Amino acid sequence: MSPDTNSAIHVDAVMAKIETDVRDELRRRLVARGGPSEFRDAEVFARVHEVLARAADRRDLDVLLLPELLADEDAWKPAVALRISSHRPFVGPMIVFFKRRVILPLVRWLFEYTEDNFRRQDYVNRVVMACLEELAIENARLRRELSADGQASR
Amino acid sequence: MKLACVIHRFGADIAGGSESHCRVVAHHLADAHDVTVLTSCARDHVTWENHYAAGESSDGRLRVRRFPVVRRRDLARFRDVSRLVFSGRASNADQEAWFRENGPVVPALLDELQGRGTAYDRVLFWSYRYFPTYFGLPLVADRAILLPTAEEDPLIRAAALETFFSRPAGYLFLTPEEADLVAERAPVRAPAAVIGCGIDPVEKGSDPFSDRASAEKGSDPFSLTDPFVLYLGRVDPNKGCESLLHYFARYVAGRAQAPGTRHPIQLVLAGPVNMPVPDHPSIHVLGFVEDDVRAALLSRARVLLMPSPYESLSMVVLEAWNHGLPVLVNARCAVLRGQVRRADGGLHYRTGAEFAAALDYLLDRPDEARALGAQGLAYVEREYRWPTVMQKIETVLVGSRN
Repeated sequence: MSPDTNSAIHVDAVMAKIETDVRDELRRRLVARGGPSEFRDAEVFARVHEVLARAADRRDLDVLLLPELLADEDAWKPAVALRISSHRPFVGPMIVFFKRRVILPLVRWLFEYTEDNFRRQDYVNRVVMACLEELAIENARLRRELSADGQASR
Repeated sequence: MKLACVIHRFGADIAGGSESHCRVVAHHLADAHDVTVLTSCARDHVTWENHYAAGESSDGRLRVRRFPVVRRRDLARFRDVSRLVFSGRASNADQEAWFRENGPVVPALLDELQGRGTAYDRVLFWSYRYFPTYFGLPLVADRAILLPTAEEDPLIRAAALETFFSRPAGYLFLTPEEADLVAERAPVRAPAAVIGCGIDPVEKGSDPFSDRASAEKGSDPFSLTDPFVLYLGRVDPNKGCESLLHYFARYVAGRAQAPGTRHPIQLVLAGPVNMPVPDHPSIHVLGFVEDDVRAALLSRARVLLMPSPYESLSMVVLEAWNHGLPVLVNARCAVLRGQVRRADGGLHYRTGAEFAAALDYLLDRPDEARALGAQGLAYVEREYRWPTVMQKIETVLVGSRN
């Protein structure tokens, strides 16, 4: 189902105007507060905004290339879930029982407080990785276009 | 046809979205079919404590069979397994454990489906995330119609769902976005339809505002001033209310400093409150309101705000349009954005700045706001009246004949 063509007011048109106005205002504010001088150029700012917004809006931040290229995720990913275990062969089950039934209830409040911050950090990490990926894609496209232009002009 | 409707909890006094959807659809199905509701004895969706008596009862023309919950939800264990599953590191066994811990655990309902499932021509299951649907559907997959009520939350990526979503004989979705979400997880080959939910035209009745005002000698019982914008539903961080309150407080401060004369604007929160709400002169908390007050608020508000990041269908948005009220929704929820764009019935926002600019548009241009509300109502008339919805359901019931 697509937007209704009989509508007197089209949401997409109104939103395009609102988004442009908000983006221009944001650009003016950043420039006024000493942001990069490149942002004085509205066209440059619009392109930067587009690339970063595309990364921030990605629906599936779990599907990224960079994490696949890193070492085992245990080495870099904030561990939000709590796994209680012991490597000791005989007393291990008793230690796990003690940690789970005695220690965990006592410190659960602290764990749940820090958990929110770990979750926020994990989210920011993923958005930053998505930004890098968008920039790498942009770079690859431009390189391909440059190389095609170069071949055509020879 | 002989139909069964499987839902995790059921009752006229239960306000949940999928539970209400199941109940109204089951009542409409009973116009043409023999309908039995298979459900738990639980009323509380947090603990699943048994509340209703086990056994058979009736709700209008519906036969209701309730099965006891064998254990209350262990919230600490549920949170632990949720962290694991939502971190993306869970094994299939961990994911199965999540569906067990989420509950309500009703083994007798599964026994009923296993033993007598073939007595029903079709078994309709609501909400994939609950025990009765997740473990019950595979037992009668050849006659199962799934209403997933899927949202774009981390659970939807659980690997165990790839098999689960490919099992039903038919699907009923609430929005095209939900259908896409499920199709990304598993091929949807069976007959399927996007039905949304039926909604009756607004009846002009008495106005509780003026009724109560005259009963209380002219004073406004709700202390509301025009103009106000409305949030209707559970006031809860999971519904995006924290961001809404931040954005609105900032908006009011910015509007007060803006040049020109503008009326002060009030935000009315109507619904059970599950979070601290800051004491702010422009934020008015009504708590739970009766249906007549709800309708009066919808007919008097300027805009309905819907900040939820996760929805499979917003009934409140449909209700607002049913009253000709424009809406302002969270664009990060694909379902809400899709609803608004299809209807041309309001605006959407991603950031606080967009929230402010869109709200300015709706408040400062009453003619355009009214036109958007009217377009929303026209969309409800086209898509969400009961005859249209039931026709789509019948097509899937017949088309999924095994």
